[in-house]
Parts: sequence; structure tokens; C-alpha cells
Amino acid sequence: MTELENRILAEAQRLLSENLADVVIAFKQADTPLRPQPAFFTDAEAVNDLVYNGLCQNNLANYLTRYPREKKIAMVVRGCESRSVNALVLENQHPRENLYLIGIPCEGIVDWRKIVEAVGEDVLSVQDQADIVVVRTPKGEFTLDRAALMHGSCLRCTQKNPLGTDVTIGKPVAEQDPHLLRERVKNFEALGIQTRYEYFRQESERCIRCYACREACPMCYCEECFVDHTGPRWTESGVTPAGMQGWHIIRAFHQTGRCTSCGACERACPMDIHMTYLTDKLNTDMYDKYQFVAGLDAKTQTPFAAFNLDDKNRFVAGGTSK
Amino acid sequence: MTYLLKKSEVNQTLRAWTSKAHVYAPQKVQKYAQFLPVGEDFELSVEEPHNTRFPPKALFLPQSETLLKYNPQKRELESAKTPDQPRIIFGIRPCDAKAVTLLDSVFSSEDNPDPFWQARRDQSVLVGLGCDQPCATCFCTSVESGPFDRSGLDAILTDLGDTYAVEPLTERGVSLFENLTVASAETTQTIQAIQEKATREMPIAFGREGLKAHLDELFENEIWEDFAKSCLGCGICTFLCPTCFCFDIVDEVRKSTRERNWDTCMFKVYSIEASGHNPRPSRRERTRQRLMHKYSYWLDHTGQTGCTGCGRCVRYCPVGLDIRAMVRKSVATPSEVPHVD
Repeated sequence: MTELENRILAEAQRLLSENLADVVIAFKQADTPLRPQPAFFTDAEAVNDLVYNGLCQNNLANYLTRYPREKKIAMVVRGCESRSVNALVLENQHPRENLYLIGIPCEGIVDWRKIVEAVGEDVLSVQDQADIVVVRTPKGEFTLDRAALMHGSCLRCTQKNPLGTDVTIGKPVAEQDPHLLRERVKNFEALGIQTRYEYFRQESERCIRCYACREACPMCYCEECFVDHTGPRWTESGVTPAGMQGWHIIRAFHQTGRCTSCGACERACPMDIHMTYLTDKLNTDMYDKYQFVAGLDAKTQTPFAAFNLDDKNRFVAGGTSK
Repeated sequence: MTYLLKKSEVNQTLRAWTSKAHVYAPQKVQKYAQFLPVGEDFELSVEEPHNTRFPPKALFLPQSETLLKYNPQKRELESAKTPDQPRIIFGIRPCDAKAVTLLDSVFSSEDNPDPFWQARRDQSVLVGLGCDQPCATCFCTSVESGPFDRSGLDAILTDLGDTYAVEPLTERGVSLFENLTVASAETTQTIQAIQEKATREMPIAFGREGLKAHLDELFENEIWEDFAKSCLGCGICTFLCPTCFCFDIVDEVRKSTRERNWDTCMFKVYSIEASGHNPRPSRRERTRQRLMHKYSYWLDHTGQTGCTGCGRCVRYCPVGLDIRAMVRKSVATPSEVPHVD
């Protein structure tokens, strides 16, 4: 166990034994080496298989909406997760006073796909060390440069240090240039309409409509997703271009002002589909038009959910514009 | 009889087959392999020791398929044409071929065969590629199969380095590989040794004895709640599974078509009834359904386990839920049902 893991474990045990939390949501080592598993500890005595490393790829805030409001939830949060928690608290999904956030400054998530690309799909064990990742396979042992394995969303991350935590474990890490995300959007926009559409077509074409992106996303918590509606039906049901493109476009739009660019959707996708460029674009738009960044706190209403009588747009009664 | 096919001649063999059939073989899509039609220009991707990411069951049961169409001019319904082209599927792994035979019990029943499935099955020749290097995530030998299982195959290949050993298993298989060099008795022995070694060295993931009865007794156990905690409820495990076959029939009103799409018990909407009642209201019941269907209900229906150990659900689960570990945990959980002799 690393020192960091020991400290998280001690905190989890303390929270449970002092009844400060009903459940501690963290990670444990699963049977498959590339995927530590989200874990839900309720007994201080049974926290021993807790792990924390770069392969912990899920956004744990995703599990927050599974609990009733009165449950006291403690959760390990990195920068993006803390923003997702804020966004969920803002949307009244759980009262902040029943949350205890164990913050961990994040060194970035290791993308299992990049490991597979380097060594093949048959992986026996993975060790995430400070600057390197050591992968054991039937073909032998590989030492990979950690920086080269970072998930795309982490490369563009603007919030590595968790926000609004109750305790922070580990040293703060340097934040990256916030323009990295904008850069990506700009570069994509410069490609021209044909190339951009071709990219979207190719990405959506591989979709198998398993909705892992939706299920991995903390902000996709609707009781009934638009894509499952039958009356009216919003998209075609099959794996047709209209059905798949409709799904990805509408899902992205539903994230406007809510997505924290964590990339959990892409990491869950079984077909290596990249769609976060759409939400990144929406995120930069939200900033340019409303100076809003999702999840920085749990109080500032997201522009598209904010209603007030002084709204400058005329469709609101009493609006000031003509 | 066993023949030898040089790897350097595989591409031209496949290309030659295209004159008499549609040929499908694993090819790279982005960074993973998928069965695609062989054309003039193609790059075979069979050197990886694992199967394709997307299961070849889709060649028989496409993820979306039109069953019938309404013709507004004639004001009548037209059935979609059943496929009538001969096909050769090259490089299918034994787990995936065996899965097709399991699905025959669903779609090829004597009294009520599915015309689309049946037509594709009748038209297809399956050339399998045995697994001399099974992956850490593979567990075919634990589920009544093996890395060189011949079920459903018309021929099976064994990798000998720069050559494939070809063992035709049916007449259709024989007709595909005429004019090849016959393997020597010595080579035949080598092939057998490779096949036996691969089979022998695969660890047994779990014991099957008494498994079904035990699982049945665990139906109300809280173990399912435990599995369901991290489960996202997405469709990866079932859509990538070579034996999952559930579908939904939808009328696409705007296109005037009736479509059949894959569906999955992992989705909440799968089991919701018209009244709004859902007999599988939470992930607990849905997680249980997937495992129980494969390791218990299939046995009720066909006498066979509904899993071929391909390992896709293990490799691609975004939260690292491993069905082998789930089975092992189930086995280790004592049943609370009192036994009365």
C-alpha cells in the first residue's frame, strides 16, 4: 500500500467508526488489473482492500444519486469529481451537509486504452508509479512513461486540485494552463465543416448504443432518458446514422453548463468513441457567453437553469428587453 | 487430413474466395479488430491473441435489422428479403463459433426458425482460428468449451508461426481448402501438442459442479445487491457478449419499417411493463438476471451453459466487474435455503 492509500484508508476507517459517514465511496482492487472497482465501504473493519492509483477511471460522483438524501456519504474526490459533486448539490441531488469529501489532488488518470495500445490487450498486472507505469504481460514486462498514458481529458484538465473538500490528502499539484481546453476546441473548429462532420460521422458510426457513456456520467441521472422515450420518439431506435448521431448530439446538449470535462464517458466507451470535443465546445461557449464554469461551487446557478424576473430576455414576464 | 496454408498466401486465398462468396475477416477499425467484408484492399488483423472486440454474432443477428416495410403506394406490408448470399467467415475464434451454435437453439428451432437467422446460418461457412495463446481474461475451458473447440466450425486453423495448419471439419470446409500441401505426420503431432498445451494450461476459473442448483438457491441472497453496487447498468457486457440475444421490435413510424434491435436485461427499460410496473426494478435484479441466465436458465432450456468464456465482459467492463469473480463469490456464499432430505 502506498502512503497516500494508507492515509485515505485511515480517514475512511475514522469516518465509519466515528459514525460520521454511513458509506465511504472509494476504489478497491478488482480482479481485472486494468480496472480498480468503485467500492462502497460501510464497515470500518472491512476497508482493507482500498486502492487509489491512476487506473481509478470512474467518476465516483456518479454514485451519489443512488443514495437517499439522508444518507451520510463520504467520497474520495479528485478535481473533476469535486466539480461534479458541486454540480449535483446545485441540482438538489444531495444535501451538502450529508456529504464528506475526501479530496485528493490528482496526477491525472491513466488511460487503459493507451496501455493496451502499447502492450496488447492481455495484461496481467499494472503498477502505477510516480513517473512510470509498469505493466506485466505474458510477453514480458513493459515500463511505460506515465505522462504518455494520460487520458485526453486529463491532459486538458483545468482543475486537478479538488474544490470545497472537507479534508484534503496529499500535496496540492500545479494546475495546467486553462487554455488547453479552449485550444482543442479552436483547433477542431479550424478544420472546416466537411472534416468536422466526417469526424463526427466516423465517431458516432462505431456507437453500439450501450449507453455506457450515459451510465458513467454523474450528470446523466434522469429517471427516464430521452432516448428511451417512445412518445414522442426523439431519435431513431437502431444503430442507424440518424439514431446514433441523434443520441450523441442530444446527450451533449443536455450537458450544457453541467459537464465538468471529466471524460468518464470516453473512458467507459467500449468502442473508443471520442465525443468530449462536443461538451468541451459547449463548456467554452458557456464561459464566453455567461462567464460560467460548471461545478466551481455549489451555489452559482447554471445559466440555463437560472430564472429570474429581471431576465434580459423578453420571454420572461417583466423582462427588460424589447 | 490436415493441410498447410502459408500465412503469406492467406490474403490471396481470401481474395479468391470473394469470387464465390462474401468473405468476412477481422480487420482493424481504429485500434481494435472487427469482422468486416474482405474487399480489394484489406488488412487482416488476426495476430492478437484475443477475439474481436465487437462479437461476430452480429454477422448472424445484426444489431439493427429491418423485418418488414410498409409500402404506402401499394398500401401493403412487405417482408424484408432474407439474405441469400453465400458467406465465408474467416478467423472466428472457437468461443464465438460455439456461441453461434448456442444461439441456434434460440433462432433455429425446428418448429419456428427465425428466417433471417436461418438464412444466414445456412449460407455461412465458418473457418475458425484456434487459440494457441489464450488470454488472462479467457475462461472457455471452465464453461464446457476450449481454445480449440470445434463446435460450429467447418474448419479450424492452428498457428504454426509462418503457416496455419488447416483441419477441415465438414464437407464445406473440405471444399474451401483444396490443393493445399498435406501436413506430415510429424507436423500433425506438433499441432496436436499445441492444442493440448493451450487447453491444459488454461486455469479453471470456477467449478461447475452443483453451480446451477446453488445459484438457484441464492436467488434472494443479498450478494446481488453487492454486485449491483458498482455496476453502471450499461449494455457493454451484454452487447459484446457472443451469446446474449435479446432484442426489441420497434415500429419506426417515420420510416414505415419494423425494426429488430438488440436489447439488454441490464437496461431498466428492458423489463418495464405497459402498466409501469418493472419486475426488475433495480440493478440488483438486473445484475442477477445476466449471471443467472447464463449459468442457470440456459441449462433449463438447452442443457448447456449460456457462456463460452470469451472474456469480453471481463475485459471491457468499465468498473472492473468480472463475471468469473462473481461466480466464485456466489459459490463461496452459503445458501440460506434449508435442505430437507
